[in-house]
Amino acid sequence: MADVLALIDANNFYAACEQAFDPALIGRPVVVLSNNDGCVVSRSSEARQLGIGMGKPYFQIAAQLAQHGVVVRSSNYALYGDMSQRLMSSLEPFVAELEVYSIDEAFARLPRPRHGDLSAWAGELRSRIRHNLGLPIAIGLASSKVLAKLANRIAKGDRRHAGVFDLGREANPDPWLELTPVEEIWGVGRQLGRWCRLRGIANARQLRDMASGELRAKAGVVGLRLQLELQGVSCLPLEHGPSAKRETCVSRSFSRPITDAGELRQAMATYVVRAAEKLRRQQQCSGRLTVFARTSPFSPGFYSQAAGTTLPVASNDTAVLLQAALPLVTRIYRPHKRFAKAGVLLQDLQSQEQLQHHLLAPLPEAEQQRRAALMQRIDGLNRRYGQGTVQWAACGLTPGWMMRREQLSRASTTRLADLPTAWAR
Amino acid sequence: MPGRSVSLLLIGGLRGQRPSLRLPLAASTVAAGFPSPADDYIDVGIDLNEALIRHPSSTFFLRVSGDSMIDAGIQHGDLLVVDRSLEPRPGLIVVAVLDGAFTLKRLVRCHGRLRLEAANSAYPPLELHQCGDVQIWGVAIHVIHALTRHG
Repeated sequence: MADVLALIDANNFYAACEQAFDPALIGRPVVVLSNNDGCVVSRSSEARQLGIGMGKPYFQIAAQLAQHGVVVRSSNYALYGDMSQRLMSSLEPFVAELEVYSIDEAFARLPRPRHGDLSAWAGELRSRIRHNLGLPIAIGLASSKVLAKLANRIAKGDRRHAGVFDLGREANPDPWLELTPVEEIWGVGRQLGRWCRLRGIANARQLRDMASGELRAKAGVVGLRLQLELQGVSCLPLEHGPSAKRETCVSRSFSRPITDAGELRQAMATYVVRAAEKLRRQQQCSGRLTVFARTSPFSPGFYSQAAGTTLPVASNDTAVLLQAALPLVTRIYRPHKRFAKAGVLLQDLQSQEQLQHHLLAPLPEAEQQRRAALMQRIDGLNRRYGQGTVQWAACGLTPGWMMRREQLSRASTTRLADLPTAWAR
Repeated sequence: MPGRSVSLLLIGGLRGQRPSLRLPLAASTVAAGFPSPADDYIDVGIDLNEALIRHPSSTFFLRVSGDSMIDAGIQHGDLLVVDRSLEPRPGLIVVAVLDGAFTLKRLVRCHGRLRLEAANSAYPPLELHQCGDVQIWGVAIHVIHALTRHG
């Protein structure tokens, strides 16, 4: 039998992670807020049933949440990242091939058994993940990635499917495709969605059956591939391993606007430090660095500026990158502008090994090795004892612009000091 | 501070990418000439994560608080290694969710009924059929007790 493609994802992933490590939250409505405690990005099923909307700004609904006794949490990326790794490595033995698509979803390929029925497999996988990690998952099965994604949406949309939907077992897929609005199809962006609607194409079945010449004229090969996938012809392969990153970006919104040049420098220094850490983890060096900052696009006098520089020799040494970045901050800073967001972009990434014996290396090899050892030590200390244990002076000591995470839960799975308590009483 | 470094090692190595302490079982000092006959037998080292944890993705650490499991060798402040993938069976020490908290007990079958027992006579057993909704969160597989102040 032909292979099946699956889209497996965790339901309400962030909220479910919070509930998995705080037993007081089991059965209670929980919402998780985005960066800076901005808006609701994840809701437990209990919170969903209360009618709390996704993406709602927190300040608008804070009173309503309190009234219903909803537990509010800031995004705890240390916890979610660790749980994501555990989820993905738990899925692996169940499938032939796995593509980790995002923090909480993965595509997979597996052979369809002779009798065709995968419900026993899916049931076993769901109960295993639920039992071992405390996470509920949904599984969509079909003959292509686009259809698997669509099937996953159906699996989650109706309780009767119990989190699993196998489109490949449906004699007639048309009614299911008709249930899927065209904008909800994986790969249909806002622009293509609008174009479809203007032509009266409202759902997946209609897009599948439209004249392919017309679609090709609009969306090219990508559009044709999408149509083939909707017809059940698999043309998008599973992607393997993270391809070596070509660029890395660290950017954040501030908890309050910054007008002071010194503060902007501190914020930028903090992002450079994080970006350098990322590079070292990826064993890469960067040859080009760009800093950028902008004010809020919603207030008058919008200002946005970027400045970049090319490094003489690619590096991942925090000190070298700071030295390159900080003078640029002066160039993008404007007095009286209320900066809302800033960031650093590292480009022209190259693998660390390629660079080791560079003729133009600014430092003798022994010195280079000492610097590398120093960076490794700093990264090690910060990993063990928490971000910011060893800090660069340029970042400042008590930043008032730091991302707001007032309701942050503990790093229950990754930090010794944050372990949950097992009561022996 | 030898005690401290040991406990950090246990936590850190779980995901494979953290530094873990490798203790060589044998090392050859022969610089040239004949290869040592022991070279073929050198092991990479002992990784306590590997030795103690069979299912890394479903294994978690918890910190013990209280003295109700003292007769099972589990003391206040100990580090508990819990595997959520194991089936809770009578005789095993489990982490149960009771009244919104993780609670450490031994699962026991007594007169055909399951109950949760402390390992300290000062604490009465809990009959499972009497206490509504009890969820077994995981099975404790190891306890790590520090023998020095710095542990």
